[in-house]
Amino acid sequence: MISSHTRVMFRATLAICGRTVAKRFISSLSGESALPSNLRLPPNLIGVAPQKRAFPSSSDLPVLRRCEADIPAHLAPAQTWLESLGSRDSEPLGVVDLHPDVFSVPLRLDILHAVEVWQRNFKRISHAKVKSRAEVSGGGRKPWNQKGSGRARHGSIRSPLWRGGGVAHGPRGPSSYYYMLPMKVRVQGLKIALTAKLAQDYLHIVDSLEIPTPDPHYLLDLVKHRQWGDSVLIVDVGDEFPQNILKVTEDMKTVNIIPAIGLNVHSMLKHESLVLTLEAVKFLEKKLLWHDVRYAPLYPFKLPYSDLPSFSLHQMLIDGLEWIIVMYLSAVLTRNLTAPIHCRGSIGEQVI
Amino acid sequence: MSASVRSMSLTVCRAATVAYRAFNPATRSLRSRGFIESTEEFRFVERLVPPSRIPTPPKHEGPAPSGWIPPSATPPSLPYMIRRSRMHNVPVYSDIKHGNQHSTLLRKIEGDIWALNKDVKEFLLGLTGKEPPTQVNEITGTIRIKGLFDKELKDRLLKKGF
Repeated sequence: MISSHTRVMFRATLAICGRTVAKRFISSLSGESALPSNLRLPPNLIGVAPQKRAFPSSSDLPVLRRCEADIPAHLAPAQTWLESLGSRDSEPLGVVDLHPDVFSVPLRLDILHAVEVWQRNFKRISHAKVKSRAEVSGGGRKPWNQKGSGRARHGSIRSPLWRGGGVAHGPRGPSSYYYMLPMKVRVQGLKIALTAKLAQDYLHIVDSLEIPTPDPHYLLDLVKHRQWGDSVLIVDVGDEFPQNILKVTEDMKTVNIIPAIGLNVHSMLKHESLVLTLEAVKFLEKKLLWHDVRYAPLYPFKLPYSDLPSFSLHQMLIDGLEWIIVMYLSAVLTRNLTAPIHCRGSIGEQVI
Repeated sequence: MSASVRSMSLTVCRAATVAYRAFNPATRSLRSRGFIESTEEFRFVERLVPPSRIPTPPKHEGPAPSGWIPPSATPPSLPYMIRRSRMHNVPVYSDIKHGNQHSTLLRKIEGDIWALNKDVKEFLLGLTGKEPPTQVNEITGTIRIKGLFDKELKDRLLKKGF
């Protein structure tokens, strides 16, 4: 039984190699073995090869969406189909333009790896801690005289040499693996992931997320029929999503919906297919292209700049102070109200 | 449980803030103390806040008075393309290591990087009489040349229209 991971890899190989692989496979059957062994596909491969609709290449199709930002003169916009989730068998509505500096960047797999590893590790706090010889209880006294007893000389019964003694170089306390990659590297990682999805035919642009029924089978059927893959990540902008799609994706493990600010490299690599709405594409292009034309930050970008929408500094300080007081009071009251009865007296006596 | 405690303490805090501000003579509303409030002068503060985007330079025909030369409107018809940096300059940089190892770095190269490498080597052969060793990095789109040639390379690229 081929695992899903291997199946994904084979699909990816199919998507990239295309017809040339089949041609080479035939030539290897005739005894020439031109194809290296890692690219030869087994004849009993499970799963239908996807019937890929050719990418829109002719220029006579009406373009339903042009890029807002200026495209450099030597580059042409990437194009892909605009689809609809309205019905299972609906044809693509047309062609959309995608900005080449977001969807056709050079594929730097090293940057993608670095961003993925960072995403996994920067949040990690390992709580492993073992007692050293100072912390293990006991061991203050010299067990026997230095000379005369005939036994080896020791200073304490809890040294690392002893059974039951402390660990010499063990993990010490909660340790953090926090580090930050430069902002531009993380932005480039997102652009490369989007480019990779588009290049491997796993990116689908959708006009809106309205589906006719809140039935999960409808969406699963649609995904299977259109051969979008095993897992789908749906991205939209804004606070409100249509109720149907929310209900459908709530209990599904493989089809997930996130707002556009939550788009990250790990989720894009984890899910096989990425579905963006037109609004999400506009938002992502705007945010990711800004990093190509921005100054180095004089002060953090969270604070107001003349062309960035931000809270005012004054309001932020007031809100911050209020929030600190609220958190402190709530912590104190929760501690007092939820402590066991025999402790409440002692907690109340502590100075607040 | 903690959510209700938090919302309770939020209302308590906000009520306390309002009451403090109303009764403290220093923070009573300015109108009750005989002042006129106006927000018209805030524009003097707003114009001090810097922008976050680098502005596109105004259109110049030929070199600007400072010596800056804009890129040509149509990209040159060569198999490679060299973009401008974010401050609209030619991306040629000089580097020095260990005090005596000079090199020139050519960045932001797209397209056929080996054609540009050949071009650069021919140009520097004509300039100095010997071919300088170069290091081509296809993945990052950069060429590092041994020796300091940043002025000459910049002039050549500007002449070509990059």
